[in-house]
Amino acid sequence: MVKSFMPKTLAEALKICDEHDVCPIAGGTDLMVRNHQSAGILPTFTKDMLFIKNIDELTVLEKKDMHLIIGANITLNRLLNWENTPQILHLALQEMAAPAIRNMGTIAGNICNASPAGDTLPPLYALDAIVCLKSIAGERELPIREFILGPGKTALKENELLTAIKIPIGDNNINFYKKAAMRKAAAISKVSIAMTAKKEKDKIVNIAIAIGAVGPTVVRLAEAEDMFIKNNENTGKVLPDIYDVYDRQIKPIDDIRSTAKYRKQVAMNLLHYVYEKCIK
Amino acid sequence: MLYSDIGKPIKKVDNDIKLSGKAKYAADYNISEMLYARTVRSSCSRGRIKSIKIPALPEEYFVITAADVPGKNRIKFLTDDWPFLAEDKINYYGEAILLLVGADRALLKKLADEVKIVYEEIPAIFTIEEALNNVKKPIYGTDNKFADYKYEKGDVKTAFAKAATIVEEKYSTGYQKQAYLENQSMIAVPGKAGKITIYGSMQCPYYVKNALIQAIGIDSSKIQVVQTVTGGAFGGKEDYPSLLAGHAAFAALKTQKPVAIFYDREEDTAYTPRRHPAEIIFKTALDGENNILGVKADVKLDGGAYAGISEVVLQRSIYNICGVYSIANLQITGAVIATNTVPNGAFRGFGAPQSIFAIEMHMESLARKAGVSAIDYKMRYMAKQGDTTATDGVFYDEIKLPEMLAKVDQISDYSKKKKMYGEQPQFHKGIGISLFLHGCGFTGSGEQDIIKAKLKLCKKKNSQRVEIFAANVDMGQGLQTTFRKIAAKALAIPLENIDFPYPDTDKVPDSGPTVASRSIMIVGRLLQKAAEKLKQRWHEDNDIEIIQDYEAPARIKWDGGKSLGDAYPAYAWGVNVVETKVDPLTYEVTVTGIWTVFDVGQPIDERIIEGQIQGGVVQGLGYAGMEVMTNDSKGHSRQNNLTNYTIPTAMDFASIKNCLVESSYEDGPYGAKGAGELTLLGAAPAYAAAVGQAMRIHIDRLPITAEYILDEVIKHG
Amino acid sequence: MADISFILNGKNVTIDADATKRLLDVLREDMGFTGPKEGCGEGECGACSVLMDHELVSSCLVPVGNAAGHEIITIEGFSEEKRYEKLANAFAEAGAVQCGFCTPGMILAAEALLNKIPHPTEMQIRQAISGNLCRCTGYNMIIEAIQMAADTGDGLW
Repeated sequence: MVKSFMPKTLAEALKICDEHDVCPIAGGTDLMVRNHQSAGILPTFTKDMLFIKNIDELTVLEKKDMHLIIGANITLNRLLNWENTPQILHLALQEMAAPAIRNMGTIAGNICNASPAGDTLPPLYALDAIVCLKSIAGERELPIREFILGPGKTALKENELLTAIKIPIGDNNINFYKKAAMRKAAAISKVSIAMTAKKEKDKIVNIAIAIGAVGPTVVRLAEAEDMFIKNNENTGKVLPDIYDVYDRQIKPIDDIRSTAKYRKQVAMNLLHYVYEKCIK
Repeated sequence: MLYSDIGKPIKKVDNDIKLSGKAKYAADYNISEMLYARTVRSSCSRGRIKSIKIPALPEEYFVITAADVPGKNRIKFLTDDWPFLAEDKINYYGEAILLLVGADRALLKKLADEVKIVYEEIPAIFTIEEALNNVKKPIYGTDNKFADYKYEKGDVKTAFAKAATIVEEKYSTGYQKQAYLENQSMIAVPGKAGKITIYGSMQCPYYVKNALIQAIGIDSSKIQVVQTVTGGAFGGKEDYPSLLAGHAAFAALKTQKPVAIFYDREEDTAYTPRRHPAEIIFKTALDGENNILGVKADVKLDGGAYAGISEVVLQRSIYNICGVYSIANLQITGAVIATNTVPNGAFRGFGAPQSIFAIEMHMESLARKAGVSAIDYKMRYMAKQGDTTATDGVFYDEIKLPEMLAKVDQISDYSKKKKMYGEQPQFHKGIGISLFLHGCGFTGSGEQDIIKAKLKLCKKKNSQRVEIFAANVDMGQGLQTTFRKIAAKALAIPLENIDFPYPDTDKVPDSGPTVASRSIMIVGRLLQKAAEKLKQRWHEDNDIEIIQDYEAPARIKWDGGKSLGDAYPAYAWGVNVVETKVDPLTYEVTVTGIWTVFDVGQPIDERIIEGQIQGGVVQGLGYAGMEVMTNDSKGHSRQNNLTNYTIPTAMDFASIKNCLVESSYEDGPYGAKGAGELTLLGAAPAYAAAVGQAMRIHIDRLPITAEYILDEVIKHG
Repeated sequence: MADISFILNGKNVTIDADATKRLLDVLREDMGFTGPKEGCGEGECGACSVLMDHELVSSCLVPVGNAAGHEIITIEGFSEEKRYEKLANAFAEAGAVQCGFCTPGMILAAEALLNKIPHPTEMQIRQAISGNLCRCTGYNMIIEAIQMAADTGDGLW
């Protein structure tokens, strides 16, 4: 049987992290699923568990300087109902899981779970989200794309906690989110795309596109985005090259939920749609 | 409350206990000293058990193997080939080998993980094709066929000789899991003098009882089976509870303690029966004007590793292969094929959904070839009263399809939309229609030769209360209410004065299983007759007991050996229209409209029938589009939970607009026919026709996933 | 093992349990409630739904440690309320109950919705119960029931 730590403060929690090999648990909607057993049997956690849900310092939700700060305990539902949530993230949250899960699950958990199909990840990549990591030794920040290393793998060190997510406040005025899945609610994504862009005087001056579930991590190709912005006077000319960049770098797989062929085709269809229709 | 109009909805009698959470499902029973059994299953798909090493068991922990089966280690079905617990032979991944029994479920899990079984593997067969190509050693008999049927009607030889063209098409359908919300659950309690009492979630208390009599080799009086509140079944609790009750009973006998087996979702999804995957081939002879001269059809069902009840499922598939159409010349073959996979079984529709999908899509295809609309082509062959059925029986009763088609067109605007969507391919919209029927009650002479249903009604002296004694269960479909309504109307007494406890085989006669859309039409009719007799004797000053036996309607003739005659006493009918829009970027289908018209005879309760329709149609739409179950390289299903095996949510489908046509069946209670299964049959073909129109493709398989649509779109350019 | 205290159906309770134990198991096995049911154990079906601080949660995914200091309401507690009566009558009237296994969870999902949005649209109802699977009804009669309760429940929510 594993030990459970239930600290009241972040300082206590960081100390526990430093002294023990623990697994932090917030809402539990991923961890309780992955380790579940049948009725009457405790979940099969292999590490001591660090309950962080009741740590107030992790429940911040604020606009500060040029960032939105989202504490590790902020639930998906709280974010869905926050007036400052970026629209592209809001679109993804609306379609994510179902109310009971959104009432417990956290965006921090979705990040640490590091599933290629994680629903909040494409918007967070597109928004250049930053994760704040704390340990007893200090704190550091990492862009989300450097934090997530692969399926289920992150750069979180054993003595660290992900305490918050920082999202730069932007003024993008076009957003598009699409998730292809087996059904219209409570579904895991087969492919998803999040696009956020800024249009100024009929020109796209800023664009970010992230595609989920088509590789080990979310695909966001700065090379393609830059080509588009640099040629924003005459994008028609560079579009074939842009698609070529995506075509070369999107390498999905077959799995229980879909096929590589489907994922690739749908990702390309959605990219065409985004570059040619959405931002017109 | 007295009923002049039996169809008028009333409040269901079990609403309050279910709403408040007080209803006790099997897993809610708290029996003192109860132990749990955990099943240890095969990790080999086919082979022989070379050795089993069981870890040292703590005191009061037990192991149950095939050697602990006191009687015959075979589940009682038509063919007794399925062992409760494997002896030495393994036929599918997940086959039950032994049970570990004890009080602590965590410890049982740990012990189960430590059981070491060594197998001698035999090359396994996973597909119908492999089973028939005779390369690997057969699983069953010499040809891998659990059942093999053939029947003919008319002169198919001449029809094909005269044909201008012969159209050959193949249709295939996949698994569907019942996915009742309450997993399979069973408790066995040992009593005095070797008696065993079973409490569990089930459709057929007497199937369970008879299975245990054979398995324990014990007198009938020693087995008592009591149904608990059942959280959905849909056929899934027709066959499998017999196996589960056996497991619980063997454990209870050995330990002399109550033993519970409650499957979790993964175990239930991975190892209990599903709808049979099917491969259906039509060869249709057409004349120069594309009129049908004759049809040859072949149905192959994947039966899984043991025969179970698959033969009866096949009968329904092949007898319904022509759908609502009366075809003069027919040659039908069918077989259930053995594969090294989980044995398949009953699921609402019972072999018919596969056939109805195939014939409806085949008719769509023939219509396209003939250059006429699907509905016009289908109307040419639609059966009328007096026409012959596929098995050369007679459609004795009026067939209201023309009225139903007019009605569905009126409420859905089908004809107009069909034309409009045809002219506007750029919108990717489509609308489809399906026509279908369902034979109510057991196939062939099952009722009079095998089931021989019996029902009892009792009134005690000086009491105004009447008790119904029947073995049919409420599994959500409302039988607790509808049976009481029938009795109350016939007796002209208030519903509150009717008792109908959950079936207990120590008290109720065998009125047959709760399957095949028979409970209302067949058993409800017995109830009505018994109640009418009781009413005649109401004044008597003594206890009154009425026993009502089943009598087959005089008009029914059936030759089982030749598969000829009246396969069913009556038919219920349906017409469905489904409208869809397909996203051209993701190939995802959105259902934008559903319209249905049904003829189920006189509804015993209109709201309960509405519930059957709403639920059945949505299950049918799940079958059509989203419920994917596939096997891995060991024949083990890859979708073993409700995350991966996706059933419809409240977000998935538009509301269903439904109408009933007025109709009455003379041999049903107050004119009622069967309704439960019918409602599932038409959704998939209507959905397929709609998606086909939206994307300009021909759908020939279920489920219609976005991946499949993409493949077809590429194929059709 | 640790003492974990929370409010259950209006009463303070303290249990000595492993903090990772599922709230569902605590409710069913330690407290003897039958309203919350296990349908999947993975938060996918909603049969185990309870209210935590008046929000819908899947009790199979709540380690009881996370319930510490919070308020839990099961159908047993909610059925004491007038709002339950309103919903129960509407469910009966609309024919929204078949096998009943999803029903307590559906009622609590409806309560959580109506608490926030007393007059929801059909789409808001569909979204609110989208994590509560029902295999019997096809949902439409449940949606109608919730609409009916909202229409006639003025002032209760």
